[in-house]
This record gives sequence, C-alpha cells and structure tokens, in this order.
Amino acid sequence: MDPITFSIIRHRLFRVVEEAVITLKHVSGSAITNEGHDLMVSLYQADGSLLMGGVGFLHHLTSAAEACKAIIRRFGGQIAEGDMFLLNDPYTAALHTSDIYLVSPIHHGGKLVAWSACFVHVSDIGAMNPGGFAPDAQDIFTEGFSSPGIKIIDRGELQQDLWDTILNMVRSPEMVALDLRSMIACNNVARERMLALIDKYGTKTVDEACAALIDQSEVKLRERLRELPNGHWQSRQYLEVKGEIYKVLLTMTKHDDTLTFDFTGSSPQSKYSVNCSKWASLGGLFAPLFPLLCYDIVWNEGAIRPIEMIAPEGTIVNCTRPAPVSVATVGAIQSVNNAACSAIGKMLAASDKYADEATAVWHANHFAIFMFGNNQRGRLAIGILTETFAGAGGARTFGDGVDIGGEIPNPISRMANVETIEAQFPIRYLFRRKLTDSGGPGKFRGGAGGEMAIVAHDAPDGGIHYVLSGKGPRFPQSDGLCGGYPGSVNDYVWVHAPQDGHNTDRFAQTLNAIPGEDEPISWGVFPLMGDDALYVRWNGGGGIGDPLDRASEKVMADVTTGHISKAAASEVYGVVESAGTIDQSATDAKRSELRRARLVAGPVQ
Amino acid sequence: MKQRISETLFVEGGKIRCASCAHPLAPAGTGWKQAAALSTVPVAALPGTGSNVEPRVVLRRFACPQCGNLLDTETALPEDPFLEDVVAV
Repeated sequence: MDPITFSIIRHRLFRVVEEAVITLKHVSGSAITNEGHDLMVSLYQADGSLLMGGVGFLHHLTSAAEACKAIIRRFGGQIAEGDMFLLNDPYTAALHTSDIYLVSPIHHGGKLVAWSACFVHVSDIGAMNPGGFAPDAQDIFTEGFSSPGIKIIDRGELQQDLWDTILNMVRSPEMVALDLRSMIACNNVARERMLALIDKYGTKTVDEACAALIDQSEVKLRERLRELPNGHWQSRQYLEVKGEIYKVLLTMTKHDDTLTFDFTGSSPQSKYSVNCSKWASLGGLFAPLFPLLCYDIVWNEGAIRPIEMIAPEGTIVNCTRPAPVSVATVGAIQSVNNAACSAIGKMLAASDKYADEATAVWHANHFAIFMFGNNQRGRLAIGILTETFAGAGGARTFGDGVDIGGEIPNPISRMANVETIEAQFPIRYLFRRKLTDSGGPGKFRGGAGGEMAIVAHDAPDGGIHYVLSGKGPRFPQSDGLCGGYPGSVNDYVWVHAPQDGHNTDRFAQTLNAIPGEDEPISWGVFPLMGDDALYVRWNGGGGIGDPLDRASEKVMADVTTGHISKAAASEVYGVVESAGTIDQSATDAKRSELRRARLVAGPVQ
Repeated sequence: MKQRISETLFVEGGKIRCASCAHPLAPAGTGWKQAAALSTVPVAALPGTGSNVEPRVVLRRFACPQCGNLLDTETALPEDPFLEDVVAV
C-alpha cells in the first residue's frame, strides 16, 4: 500500500488508543487510575493478537491479548456487535483479580474486525483484605471475585443482574462501579474511533495497513536483534515474605534474531501471594522489552514473535492453581520486570551501537499500601498510596538516573499530590521528599527514591488501617550495571507513639525525630491510630560504572543537594572534602587506596 | 580488532580485557569473573541502608586484578553462584 496512507492509519491507531486513555482517566474517580496511571488500553486484531499497544502498565499488553483469545474460545459464535466482556482470572489471562480486563469486540458491517481492551486496578475486589492485594490470602479462592470471562454488556445492554452481583461482592461498590464505567466509556470511544477510521479508508485498506504494521514491527525487531551481539546474560532478583526468601533467576539468550528468556532455577511457588501465573510472567518480561528494544517500533504481535519464554511450571513465575497471586504485580511480576531489564541492559551495553540505550534497573521494589477505613467525612475510603508509582530512574551509560523518575514498565506512572491523598483519607503527611543515599552509586548515579511519613488526622475512628505487601525491605533490587551499585532498599517502619502522650512532635521532619518506638514491618494489615506514625522509604535506581570514576565535582554537588551523604562521598566515591571544597590530592590518594583495597581480596578462589 | 562486550570490558587478541588498562582476564567467549579480584561488602554496611536489611546479602564487586577498576557487581546470597554473562565473539 502507499506509504502515506499507511503512515496516516498508523498514526490514527496511536490516537485511538490515546483518546481512549484520556477517556478512562476522565471518567475514573480513583487516584490509582487518574493519578498513579495504573491503567492500560490497547487494540487487538480480530483473532485477539496485539495490534497497537498503548501506555500504562505494559505487562498488560500481552495478557490482555490472552484475555481476548480466552473470550473468543469461550464465547465463539456468541460474540455480537455491542458486547463487552469482563475477565479477571489470573489463571486465564489477568495478572491478579483486582486488575479487571474489559474487552470489547469491534464489528464493522456485521463482521468482527478488532478488539479494544483496557484495565484498571479496581478499588476493591472482595478479597480477604481491602484493595485487592491480600497478604492474608492462602489461595486464589480467598483473593476475591474471579471470572474467566462473562458477558457484562450484551448487544449494548448492560446486564444488570451481573452488574449487581459483582458490586455485591466488593466493599466499595460505588467506586468499583465508577471504575467499570470508566472502562466501558474507554472501550466505547476506542470502538467509535476505530469504526470512523474503517469508514474512511475501508476494511480492506485498514486490514492491509494493520498486517503491514505487524510485519514491520517483526522485521524491525529482528533487524535490531541481529545488530546486537550473540550471547547469554543472567540476572537474579530476591524477594522476601515473612522470613522466607525467594529468587527469580533469568538466563536471557540472544541468538541471531531471536531472544529467549529462561527462568529455570527460580524458586518453587510460594504459599504467599507473591506468585504469578505464566501469562503474567510473559507480560512481565515484555514490560521492559518494549521500551528498551522497541522504543521506535510499534508494540504489537510482530514484536512478540521473535521472543520465547521458558517458565517452569510450579515455580514462583508460573504457579499452579490455586496458588495465591494477589500480590503478583508488586511481587514476582516485578521481579521478572527487573530481571529482564537487567539482562537487556547488559546486552545493550555490549553493543557499540546501542550502548547509549542501556540502563541500570529502575525503581525495582513497588510497595502496595492500601489504606482503608472511614475518612473525615464518615465515608468508607479504600485506596493506594500512590508514592509506589513515583519510582526512580536507573542510571544510563551517559548520565544519572532521573530522581523520583517513574519506572520502566509504566512510562506514564506518577504519584498524586500530598493534598489529594490527605483529602481522601484521614491522614496528614509529616514529610515527603527525595531520599539521601538512595540512588545506586556509580560513575553515573541512579536516580533518588523517596521517603515519607504519615499520621492519622481528623479521623472519626481515631485513625485508619492499611494493608502492606510487596517484595519486602530485605534485598536491594534495582541492580547496578557494569560496576554500578544497586539502588537502596525499601523500608517500612511503624512508630509506636509514647504511651504517656508526652514528647509528641506533631511536625517531626525525620524518622529519628518522630517520638516513639520503631517497629520494622513489611507484610500484613496494620493500624495507624492515635499518634502513631508510618514511615516509608522507597528504593533508588541502580548506578552504572565504577563510583571511583565519578567526577569529584559531581560528587560534591550531590552532597550539597542532599543526594548523597558525606560518608558516601568519602567511603564509596573516595572524594575528600576540606573546608567545603574538594581536596584533589587527598581525593586521588583516597581513590588509589580504595582501588588497592579491592585487590587485597585477591582473585576469586 | 577491539570488540566491546560491556562498558568495562572488551575483547582483543582472543582475550577478554579490562577496558581501563587492557589487562587480559579470560579467553574470549567465556566467563571472566573467576579471573577478577573479588571483594564483598554487606549490603547492610552500605550508605543509605534500611532498618531491616537481610544480614547475609552482599554486594559482590568484581575488579580488574591489575588496575582495581570495578568491572561488574552483583547482589547475592553467599550460597548463590556468580551470574554468568558470556558474549559470543
């Protein structure tokens, strides 16, 4: 077809997705969607394969394709114009039960021509714990409502009985209804815009353009892979739940124009809900692959074809039903994200042409803190602290990582303003800021993570509760690259206020200044009552290169801005300061001493 | 002819070499970490560590045995083997 028509249709497909995302955000009323951007919208071909991947959490692009295919298998000839289907079963396609897919067939002239699919993390799904992340769950049956596919809209008519049944199973039916309606609106917009595109150019031309687009992505990715060196690269991620340590081990092999991700050697599946299913792992590895290898290639079925995944059944990356998976998105899926990001970063760093595209691991350790309880207006409030989406950039081969810089798997992630959260929940922030010594040291430093503390405020019940889960605070996970250090660890501290009620600093500005007894926590349901405080810090990005190669002036600037401590400047970067300026001769001597110390250890035994 | 295999390593004359001083480490197309100088630092001892870090986890630092430049790092528990990165030549 002529290249101009092809280009116009290609851009129209981008715009269809973009407008659908805007619709989703405008209709949704939850901070996790319209502030944190925990969402996704994409277009799929008539057979369910990915046509145009959208933004949001990218591990949903392939999983939603599987959702479309599952609906096709289940409903076969009963898929009609105006239908919409709901699917959230992790063992069919979804990542966890609270990430609901709404998929919508698009018919033109009575013929199925495409699908639109979207997801949001709904306010609640009726799991053991409010908000969907269920650290107390022991199996999938305790993780809330779970459907392998139901027709929720039949030929344009909302199925009120199903709708009422779903809302009857969740704690916050008004918010979940709004979540579902935002997805219905999103799919309606996507369908209308797709039909307008087909009306203008005709089914045959649009089909040809879509087929060409998919072939183009495959050709381009295979060409890129052929330009990269052959080899294999390993990465390893640790996570911890209640004293039990798990690992995700990846061996990524690149041969000619193919890439294989082999997770053999990963831990057996857990009794805790950090596991993920096969489809979730596949999505997890594509989340960094799309932006790192396909930054100029359309994310579609063509970019999936050169990729193979091996995920042994019964492991934490391919668990078997009925293992619990509700924490997967901040558990094993993110470990897969991180491992893939690390291995791809190593492969890119091995290439003269693509070294500038390499990155250390970004924000590797989400924390899921879902607040729940009556708010200052006496209404039940359930929602996430969106700081988990704030992230931190990994270093690049030419520069530092971006402070509070988001994350690789979600190019549009961000956090809500403090005031937004304070308006939603009966809490008050004591502080929220960048965290010193959080970016992984290196010639190029990882971006800073953050820290924050909250207390109850104006709470009718004297406070509120929260569900805490994730991969734990015990291991650094934002790996460095080529000699760079990892970003810092997460930390969660419950500060128990003094029982006598004295010495309560209502405006403490550091963890140490908050009066009371510190208790490290990481998993479960906790109260935030009275004058107690919750302190949270999140990891920085990984560094790249030897920290002793970092320019002394940059190290001193980092001290001035609070990115690093004086101790780190001296002991990690080897920079000696005297009267506020760099003592260059002492710095040279210190750096030589630190290099010699590495040699004392001697060769590997 | 030099072939880059990472930011800190290249291959020349059939050997993997330190990018800083060209010291030969291992035959091309093989693992090189056994030839590096290894020092380990407990993650709990790094600046910015948290209150609840796993005491056994370390940062393995693989340095050039000649110039001391860091070639690679990895986070590891003591019982876990080195990560293997091999670039074909």
